[in-house]
Amino acid sequence: MPLIYLVLLIVPAILIFAAPLRWKVWTAVGVVGAVAVAVCAAAIGVLVDGAPLMLWQGASMAFGREIITMDRLSALFSIIISLAAVATTIYSRGYLAHYLDKKSPTHFSVHYTALVALYVSMIGVVTAAGGFCFLFCWEAMTIASFLLIIFDADKRKTVRAALSYLVMMHIGFAALLAGFALLHARTGSATFAALGDYFGGYAPLPLFALFVVGFGMKAGMFPMHTWLPEAHPAAPSHVSSIMSGVMIKTGIYGIIRVAFALPVAFEGAAVMFPAGAILLALGVITGLWGIILAAFQNDIKRLLAYSSMENVGIILIGIGAALIGKSNSNEILALCGMTGALLHTMNHSFFKSMLFFGAGNIYASTHSTSCDTFGGLAKSMPVTAILFLLATVAICALPPLNGFVSEFTIYLGLLDGISSGGEVLSSAFGLIGLSLIGGLAVLTFSKLFGTVFLGAPRTHEVVEAQEADTFSLGACAIPAAGILFVGLCPIPVFKVIAKIAAPFVPLSDRGLEWINDHALGGAMQGVMITAWLLVVIIVALYLLKRRAQRNREVRMGATWGCGFTQPTPQMQYTGESFSEGLQSIASSLTKDTGKGEAVDKNEIFPSAHEFEVKHRDKVSRLMNEWWAALLGQINRRVMRLRTGNISRYVSYALIFMLLVALLSIFNLI
Amino acid sequence: MKELLNTILLFAIALLLGGVITRVRSILSGRKGPSIVQHLHNVALLARKGSVYSPTTSVLFRVAPAVYMGSALLALMFIPIGNLDPIISFRGDVVVFAYLLGLGRLSLVLAAMDTGSSFEGMGASREALYGALIEPALFAVAATLAMVCGYTSMADIFSVARDLDVQMTIVMLLLAYVLVKIYTVEQGRIPVDDPRTHLELTMIHEVMILDYSGIDLAMIHVANWFKGAAIAVLAANAVMLPLCFKWWIVAPLSLVVAVIIGVVESSQARGKLLRNTTYILTVSALAAMLLFVAYLLMLNIEIS
Repeated sequence: MPLIYLVLLIVPAILIFAAPLRWKVWTAVGVVGAVAVAVCAAAIGVLVDGAPLMLWQGASMAFGREIITMDRLSALFSIIISLAAVATTIYSRGYLAHYLDKKSPTHFSVHYTALVALYVSMIGVVTAAGGFCFLFCWEAMTIASFLLIIFDADKRKTVRAALSYLVMMHIGFAALLAGFALLHARTGSATFAALGDYFGGYAPLPLFALFVVGFGMKAGMFPMHTWLPEAHPAAPSHVSSIMSGVMIKTGIYGIIRVAFALPVAFEGAAVMFPAGAILLALGVITGLWGIILAAFQNDIKRLLAYSSMENVGIILIGIGAALIGKSNSNEILALCGMTGALLHTMNHSFFKSMLFFGAGNIYASTHSTSCDTFGGLAKSMPVTAILFLLATVAICALPPLNGFVSEFTIYLGLLDGISSGGEVLSSAFGLIGLSLIGGLAVLTFSKLFGTVFLGAPRTHEVVEAQEADTFSLGACAIPAAGILFVGLCPIPVFKVIAKIAAPFVPLSDRGLEWINDHALGGAMQGVMITAWLLVVIIVALYLLKRRAQRNREVRMGATWGCGFTQPTPQMQYTGESFSEGLQSIASSLTKDTGKGEAVDKNEIFPSAHEFEVKHRDKVSRLMNEWWAALLGQINRRVMRLRTGNISRYVSYALIFMLLVALLSIFNLI
Repeated sequence: MKELLNTILLFAIALLLGGVITRVRSILSGRKGPSIVQHLHNVALLARKGSVYSPTTSVLFRVAPAVYMGSALLALMFIPIGNLDPIISFRGDVVVFAYLLGLGRLSLVLAAMDTGSSFEGMGASREALYGALIEPALFAVAATLAMVCGYTSMADIFSVARDLDVQMTIVMLLLAYVLVKIYTVEQGRIPVDDPRTHLELTMIHEVMILDYSGIDLAMIHVANWFKGAAIAVLAANAVMLPLCFKWWIVAPLSLVVAVIIGVVESSQARGKLLRNTTYILTVSALAAMLLFVAYLLMLNIEIS
């Protein structure tokens, strides 16, 4: 194992522990910034040069030779991770300032050390070629993020969520360990490069499934997503932002590495097509489940966590489409699917970071994340509102922002799969799923933005809310720049990412030309022209309207109450009622529990009521309570043996000795 | 030249559709009714009036009509009439068209939430839900057309008449049927929504824009016409694709869509609000089924 890992994990820790309380954050920013600059420089070098950069190789403690290398895919992920890490660390300055006099300096030191460790280990994950280094970094990543989640360890809920996260991550880790061990046992090497040999000689799908479980656990793939909505609300906002924005993408990274090593067929049976179809179906299910559950949530951070699941679904649709295209040598489908998936990975890290930063600003200022306590926050926190709106439009994948560019790319591939007549059914399934996900995203995020930022304030905390400090807002500059740049100048970004995607979907010479010429380059140009036209038209229409209004009377008057003269802010539409229509058709996905009583229809003069509904994911029962119940049941059965009767215990001992004697007679032990 | 004619025709259709619906309704109910251009006068009047804004609202409320109109206008620019060419066209522009409508929807929904009125919140939540559920229908129609024609941009799909057999012609007719259904949902017409009702509780689209007045309201109305024209022309295109695919036949035919809507509105009552989700999901399911049937037809599998 290379020494550099230990250096990068221990030296920052010493620096941070040694720094005075107020300087700890700047130490962390310094370390993360320095590493980020070095990593980005290397990554840009790789992207320009094209050849992989060999960083280190040597023997390791287990699993044979270890290689640390940065190819184009690693370079892309390294850049995404670095940008998010820098923004997160800067953001934490403002967010954690409120805790400075509440928590001990050691507490902060541990937190910042874990933040640096999380960044370093994520870079380690995407640069290790597999085997021991990869698993070491993967585990370091889990532990670092666990430490980050339990920052608010005084709360029982936080500890519970963090422990459930830790347990689930280790189930995933066990799957990965088993996968790599199997790979090593059969090929003598545990790097991703050895997957090709393995898949050539042994049945590929079982190992693929093992890796999908391991990586899917991290990515939040259905039905292994249940840690996401628990861990994100419990963690501080900047931690949620880096976990949701980039950490879950390491799962995507792993899936890409494994999936594209699959052969087209093995011993006459198709392999790549079923794998692609599985990922596509999982993507549609993950996406739909995520966005529907997101629409039900009334807690900002839970909603955002479920929406991360939705975006993982979209990325998986892209990867699945790419595999299907590759297996049937439909180059446009393969290239667009892969490019769209990678582009969406990057885009999601931008807008999801920004949304979590926004949620953090709101929490820091009002100490609440429940949608229905807000309303009209746009007036007291205007900058946060504008940034949040930007990210909202982007995450709904609407033009002219970045989310649209990546979803459009995936759509382009799927439509080509349909129009070329090659993979109609699978492409159409992905297309219809993606369009429904897109429509529901608009519902979900209009609910979020509408109930939190618009309307009239429902509580006095909202009226008194203060705009966040400069660091918290300044940190949004990085994701905001990303959102605007990718949205308004998609062509260069598309070309760079398509070149990263190209090696995964071996393209013919004609296919390589498509990136530039009419076929795909033309479509991207169209998207860019549309984006700019849209901006110009909207600005022009708004200015024209303003001009026209100059000569007309503009008055202020109360909101039209349809004849009702005494409306109160409490009467506004809440988030819960906003998603009621969807609940009426999708209530079977959740188990609803209500506290308190709703106002009865027969109450003519309703008294004060307190009513709270929780929509619990039905799958979370399968992943948590079900196992606990099973253990309890087994325990009860076993407890029957403990009778308290000494003669029973003596007889158990006799039976045991008899058993040992019998087994040794038959040479079984 | 073709682009210019296309644009002029699109605007003409957009301005006429609403009038035709009103005319058909008044003729069928035996009234004299307003003139076919009355709605234009109404909107012109609105544009000349002053505006009232609620103090609850933010800047977003004032920008939203511009976003709504801008996105609808741009969406209209992708639509070809018969063999004419639209102004903008590129691979996959059907997706851009659908998402531009989505942007318009988001802007109005947020503006409705901005007023802090429970009525408008109600309308917004319904509009967002119905918009989400109808989205798959639009994409399934686009996918069917893309599959049958082998292209992914609207200009290429609707460029020349396709030589299709009888079964496929029926599929095209059904696609137009689905598009008319999409029109009723997107435009808030009977049986999904009834703009004439006097109870805000039962309205969808109209209740969302209760607080708009003057030029803002005018812009929203005009944007609605654009949206309606886009979908009506698509429906007419789909019908004529296997037949005589010329602009001078498609353009009048898209006004027939308005006639159909008028007839439906005169003979039918508004559906129960609770049934709307079922209704819209059925339309989406029908569109998905059409895609499947068209695929089977492409494979030359006999459906008995």
